[in-house]
Amino acid sequence: MEIEEKQAEVIDHFVKQVSAQKGSALGSVFVEATSHPSLFAFSEILAVPTVAELEGTDNSVHLEMLRLFAHGTWSDYKRNSGKFPQLVPDQVLKLKQLTVLTLAETKKVLSYDQLMRELDVTNVRELEDFLINDCMYAGLVRGKLDQLQRYFEVQFAAGRDLRPGQLGSMIQTLSNWLATSDNLLVTIQDKIKWADTMSELDKKHRKELEDRVMEVKKAVSVKTASRPILTSKGSMKSTLNLVE
Amino acid sequence: MASSSSSGLTFKLHPLVIVNISDHYTRVKSQLSLPPSLTSTSSAATSNNNNNNSNGGENNQNPPPRVYGCVIGVQRGRTVEIFNSFELIYDPSTRSLDRSFLEKKQELYKKVFPHFYVLGWYSTGSDAQESDMHFHKALMDINESPLYVLLNPAINPAQKDLPVTIYESELHVIDGVPQLIFVRSSYTIETVEAERISVDHVAHLKPSGGSAATQLAAQLTGIHSAIKMLNSRIRVLHQYLVGMQKGDIPCESSLLRQVSSLLRRLPAIESEKFQDDFLMEYNDTLLITYLAMFTNCSSTMNELVDKFNTTYDRHSRRGGRTAFI
Repeated sequence: MEIEEKQAEVIDHFVKQVSAQKGSALGSVFVEATSHPSLFAFSEILAVPTVAELEGTDNSVHLEMLRLFAHGTWSDYKRNSGKFPQLVPDQVLKLKQLTVLTLAETKKVLSYDQLMRELDVTNVRELEDFLINDCMYAGLVRGKLDQLQRYFEVQFAAGRDLRPGQLGSMIQTLSNWLATSDNLLVTIQDKIKWADTMSELDKKHRKELEDRVMEVKKAVSVKTASRPILTSKGSMKSTLNLVE
Repeated sequence: MASSSSSGLTFKLHPLVIVNISDHYTRVKSQLSLPPSLTSTSSAATSNNNNNNSNGGENNQNPPPRVYGCVIGVQRGRTVEIFNSFELIYDPSTRSLDRSFLEKKQELYKKVFPHFYVLGWYSTGSDAQESDMHFHKALMDINESPLYVLLNPAINPAQKDLPVTIYESELHVIDGVPQLIFVRSSYTIETVEAERISVDHVAHLKPSGGSAATQLAAQLTGIHSAIKMLNSRIRVLHQYLVGMQKGDIPCESSLLRQVSSLLRRLPAIESEKFQDDFLMEYNDTLLITYLAMFTNCSSTMNELVDKFNTTYDRHSRRGGRTAFI
């Protein structure tokens, strides 16, 4: 997954920065991190202990903002804009990109109307430009845009940071997938066996038929051996009839 | 005699070499199993290598013939890549190696593949033997440390990996006497695109000309093995995630993100349109099969009626004809 590779270095860089500093200085690091064009994963930064210390202090606003970027969407920001510090345009862009990712989580087919509502975009042209330039070329999503039916079909979307409860549902999905493929394997095995038995039966049937044909042929040849006597009698009779 | 090698060389073997060796062996073996009158003249003249000629009648009871040849390839640094091979004339009873033939072959190959060197030699059999060391030493003047590729021609259906082993020679001190012994080395198979296509082709060759059922079985078997591999990989992911949940494994967010993006692709095709198209195509196929079956039945019926007519028409006119049966 190319995005993860691209992000790995940036993540390391920021984790080092965050662990080196404390308190309010972290705020500026966060702003830098959330405006960085290739960074979309924040859970590693959130895991650093100095960040967790920010909880409950004056600078918890910054922590909230980081959490917003890790799990939230643009509409979350709009609803509670008081809780978060003002966002620079880079951050706005990034938050919108992350919103697209979250939307792609739930449905595979996203209608233009829904996207326009979530992203605060008024016309289709702007929406498509945003999707193409900022999401697809950045490698975040891959999919097809259908302008006539006004929807965006997502084929691949990069992962966002995991919410704590998501691990359980992921395990559930995986075990379902596993069960389905197990069943499929069993079904295929049965089908293979069925195909083999049917071909066996067919061969047997064919062989029986040929044996019967051979028998009948032999019986006929026995009959023809004894028949010349009959036919000569018959021909004698017929000649007699003709003569008469 | 074989322990694991310590030279640190990595070996890459191309499938062409394996196919060549088995082809050489098969040719020699099939020539030997010809009728006895032809055996003594043909095998001496046409086979590329002298083997212990079995006398006439015992074709399969003698030990299978051993074939010998040379392997050539490229050595870059610590990686040895074996590309090709050719046969050699060697008589194990007299231990004479036909040098002029070897040199002529080398020259010819050098013209076409200037980078290839003689890397070693090959033979068939189940295990490396003492007598092989003589051949090995004979080749040591061409290449200081030749390789010995051994192919085991016995077909073992239970065996999972290739019956090919590569041996190197090492100088070990045994009982105070330094001796050259064979040590086994590991190798990987490397394929060029052309080789991959031909091996793939041969692998699928088996059920050709079989009845429809065996072709179906073959195709299903292919799908089955593909899904089995997918299954094992999903299982690995599943266990990993469960371990992470329990806390046995430290959480790695980057991996989790990738897994979540993967799982999101999951109901891979689910839209209504797909269902419609799928059902339509399914119905079409069923209809066509039905139609074909109908045609078949009606033609069989037609033939039956014709046969019936011919046999029972003749019955009424039998009296007026001479027996021409």
